[in-house]
Amino acid sequence: MDRRRFLIGSTAIGALMVAGNNLAWGQEAEGTAPDLAQFPRNETVIVHNPEGVIRNPSWFNIWVNGGGGWSNGLHQLTMDTLWFIDPDAGVPEKSENAIYYSLASGPWEYNDDFSEMTVKLREGIFWSDGVEFTADDVVFTVEKQRDTPGMTWSGAMSTQVAEVTAPDKYTVHFKLKAPNSRFHTVFSVRWNAAWIMPKHVFEGVEDVLSYDYNPPLSLGPYTLHSFDPNGTWYIWEKRADWDKTTMALVGEPKPKYIIYRNNISTDNRLIEMRNGNLDMIHDLSPEGTFSIMDQDPQVQGWFPGFPYAHPDPTLVMAVFNHQNPLFADKRVRWALTLMLDARAMSMASYRGAATLSAISVPPTGTHPRDYHGPLQDYLVNYELDTGTRKIKPYDPNIGTQIAEMVRPQFGDAVPTDEDAIRNAFGYGWWKQDIAAAEELLTAAGFTKNGNQWMTPEGQPFQFSVLVPSEGVVNRLGVIIAQTWAQNGVQASAEVSPDIWDRTGAGDYAVEIGWAVETWGGHPDLSFFLDSYHSEYVAEPGATQPARNWMRWKNPGLDTIIENIRAIDFNDPKGTEYGHEFVKLHLDDMPNIPIMAYNVFSIQSNRYWTGWPNADAPYANPVTNWSNGKYIFTQITPVEGAS
Amino acid sequence: MQSGRKWTLRGPMQGYLIFVGKRLLQLFAVVFFGVSATFLVTHLSPVSPVEASLGRMTARSNFSPEAIVAMREALTDMYGVNEPLLVQYWNFWVRLLQGDLGPSLIAFPTPAMDLVMRALPWTVGLLVTSTLITWIVGNILGGLAGYYQNSKFLKAFGIVAIGIQPIPYYIVAFILLIIFGFVWPVLPISGGFSMTVTPGWNWNFIASVLTHAILPATSLVLVGFGGWFLGMRALVSNVVTEDYVTYAELAGVNRNTIVGGYVIRNALVPQLTALAMTLGGVFSGTIITEQVFNYPGLGSLMIDAVGGGDYSLVLAVATVSVTAVALAIFIVDLMYPLLDPRVRAE
Repeated sequence: MDRRRFLIGSTAIGALMVAGNNLAWGQEAEGTAPDLAQFPRNETVIVHNPEGVIRNPSWFNIWVNGGGGWSNGLHQLTMDTLWFIDPDAGVPEKSENAIYYSLASGPWEYNDDFSEMTVKLREGIFWSDGVEFTADDVVFTVEKQRDTPGMTWSGAMSTQVAEVTAPDKYTVHFKLKAPNSRFHTVFSVRWNAAWIMPKHVFEGVEDVLSYDYNPPLSLGPYTLHSFDPNGTWYIWEKRADWDKTTMALVGEPKPKYIIYRNNISTDNRLIEMRNGNLDMIHDLSPEGTFSIMDQDPQVQGWFPGFPYAHPDPTLVMAVFNHQNPLFADKRVRWALTLMLDARAMSMASYRGAATLSAISVPPTGTHPRDYHGPLQDYLVNYELDTGTRKIKPYDPNIGTQIAEMVRPQFGDAVPTDEDAIRNAFGYGWWKQDIAAAEELLTAAGFTKNGNQWMTPEGQPFQFSVLVPSEGVVNRLGVIIAQTWAQNGVQASAEVSPDIWDRTGAGDYAVEIGWAVETWGGHPDLSFFLDSYHSEYVAEPGATQPARNWMRWKNPGLDTIIENIRAIDFNDPKGTEYGHEFVKLHLDDMPNIPIMAYNVFSIQSNRYWTGWPNADAPYANPVTNWSNGKYIFTQITPVEGAS
Repeated sequence: MQSGRKWTLRGPMQGYLIFVGKRLLQLFAVVFFGVSATFLVTHLSPVSPVEASLGRMTARSNFSPEAIVAMREALTDMYGVNEPLLVQYWNFWVRLLQGDLGPSLIAFPTPAMDLVMRALPWTVGLLVTSTLITWIVGNILGGLAGYYQNSKFLKAFGIVAIGIQPIPYYIVAFILLIIFGFVWPVLPISGGFSMTVTPGWNWNFIASVLTHAILPATSLVLVGFGGWFLGMRALVSNVVTEDYVTYAELAGVNRNTIVGGYVIRNALVPQLTALAMTLGGVFSGTIITEQVFNYPGLGSLMIDAVGGGDYSLVLAVATVSVTAVALAIFIVDLMYPLLDPRVRAE
């Protein structure tokens, strides 16, 4: 062997050895994966988790953002807190107005001025290591996070809790720094909430910020079985003592194993479900959903037919920056609203599968019952003064029009019943009225030069529309910018990978996103509305806290918020104040509510059945929401399908 | 003559050492400027790691504005991003020279290098293998096609290579996905290995890794093959017209010897350079492959790092990548005189 061949050979062998060693090192030993026979499909549910690669897969300390997964089963199956509020209706007879009393045995109890809160806890709930859950765990959770900046709920605790005590083993008492009738919502799960920590584990941890909590204890009905050291799957196994968790109040979870798989591209999700390797998919594209619905009769969406998708309690809208002088005048905001074509937006973004909302409340959960339905007459009769005339801009039949537009393609899958159309496509939206929009702009001092609108200062009416880099909201933003441009406004879509940062910083003119998220299953609007108070509006250049991205200020709005703060979460007057908010919003049009954030979550009935849907809305099927855990008590294996 | 001969032996060696020294300085300069540029770009990025982390924690949850402000302050302090840029730059080099690239901000406080080392074996394993296969097959067939220009079999390869070459990679990958995952579902379409095997040096795991690598590797080979094939065919087409080839043929030298020993060997030098550059680039990962096949690796790690404003992690990946490319160029530079007698003579 000559020198060159020796050199090449030895280098190749060395490279292989190094690669081999690294591979082994990278795969070392976090949990031994079982063989396939351990996962019969009649005992195993496989769920798609929308998270990407979990970069720190052995990190289970959910109280610190350490790069571990959240919706990989960790917060759905092992975490618990005082209350859960379902974004849909909740399991019948197991929840009260979609509120589950989880670790709390009943509702929150405030003193008269909402400066103190008392919680009675359930007895007989145990951590997975056999230690009983008590008030000491709650007190520890609050104090530890209050005193440790950098933990996930540290800000929530340090800014609100003056003192927390445990008068007895099953009672917790909070003294707040200031009255807050919604303090209990810190411990009320919508997507998640402040999860309770096991005191007996964490009290011995010196540096909680660097503690990975691996393997995690469970206060839920499942424990960690094994996971991928590359961070793409997690397997959870039902606890033998699941009946000592709060899940038992709803029912026995049926699957023995639940596997969460993440980092699956859209195309792969379709193929994996078709191949029987997924039972629940978090989301697909509209086109992907239509395709699998067409090909696989065992697959279901939220609606039995078109538009299939589940409307999240999140409202997609065009958000104006009120600190930009272009949008200071509400007539301008209304003019831009009336330029839009709801049908075009629905078709361009969701291929027609959008659930429209003309008001600033998402058309989902209780809200059609509490807001959209009762306010229909008000909307139909709503008058807008264009400066030239008064118009009634609302069209209650937009949903029907869109249904008819998609019917040729989807046929019988499109509902014909009026109520079904309203639920699926929304109650109505604003008529596209270019003449009225022009009158409004003219009244606001704008002039038209050829086909180009000019501001009162004589400058072109020009701005960018910030849109995310992909997805239905991107498509929506592009059609909105195009529509405005067609009508003489120099609007152009600007794709921004850091859209949230820029929105928070006020570095935008118009953004397509959302400033409204609600509980969904409960009519209270404080989830987003409390942050709209003018006391939180940041100065130009400073970061705006969520969710008043518009930086909208209105004394009437402050009054409504303060009225809501003064009443209990369950007080029916809250809905009345909600109606006042909707009406005020219409008058000011601080942003343009457009449609629910519809999520194309689908489930397969091949191995398991009994999934929630619009006819049985007992839970949110969107897999990363932690309250989806109740689904596992309601599904059953398909006989003979394993 | 004796003293003159000694001088000519020592002279080239001295020259070679000077050459090595210069290249070594170049190597350090490339790494220094490459890493510094990356530092600057990442720190000038509008994406804030604090806001990214805050967004993740609060996006769907119920936090009061006061709580968010308090958390922002805490995270800013914890991540150390409130220091002046120059101080951060200095601290970065001090840490780097100690072999520490700092904690990842999207997986705080895990060291950024740990995340890189988890992803690196997958990227290196997949890309080095597929690159070597592509290079070897492409060059051999390209070399033969350049020499045996009338072979119908090799002409067919040329047509295939020219046909596949312009197809965008993601289309090829997607076609493979549909064929072997959907129409004829015989191969895994997702991940690096099956969740039903135990990671380690056991046959089940190795077989699972190999099986999972088939589709991504095939997609890379299919797309990469054409470039090497066409390049080598063109190079050989030139070499065969050289006098020494004609002379060898007239002298009755065995054709296999001419092809392998004279033609392909001489045409191979620029291809070796390109191979070294390609292998150096392996450390940047292959983003589309990882996305389409959900394959673990550096590409998606880099995307996450950029999206999350994770300076440390971007710098860790970039440092590995810049160093690898610079080292590859350095090694090629050093090997040139050894591989090519003409360069050595110069």
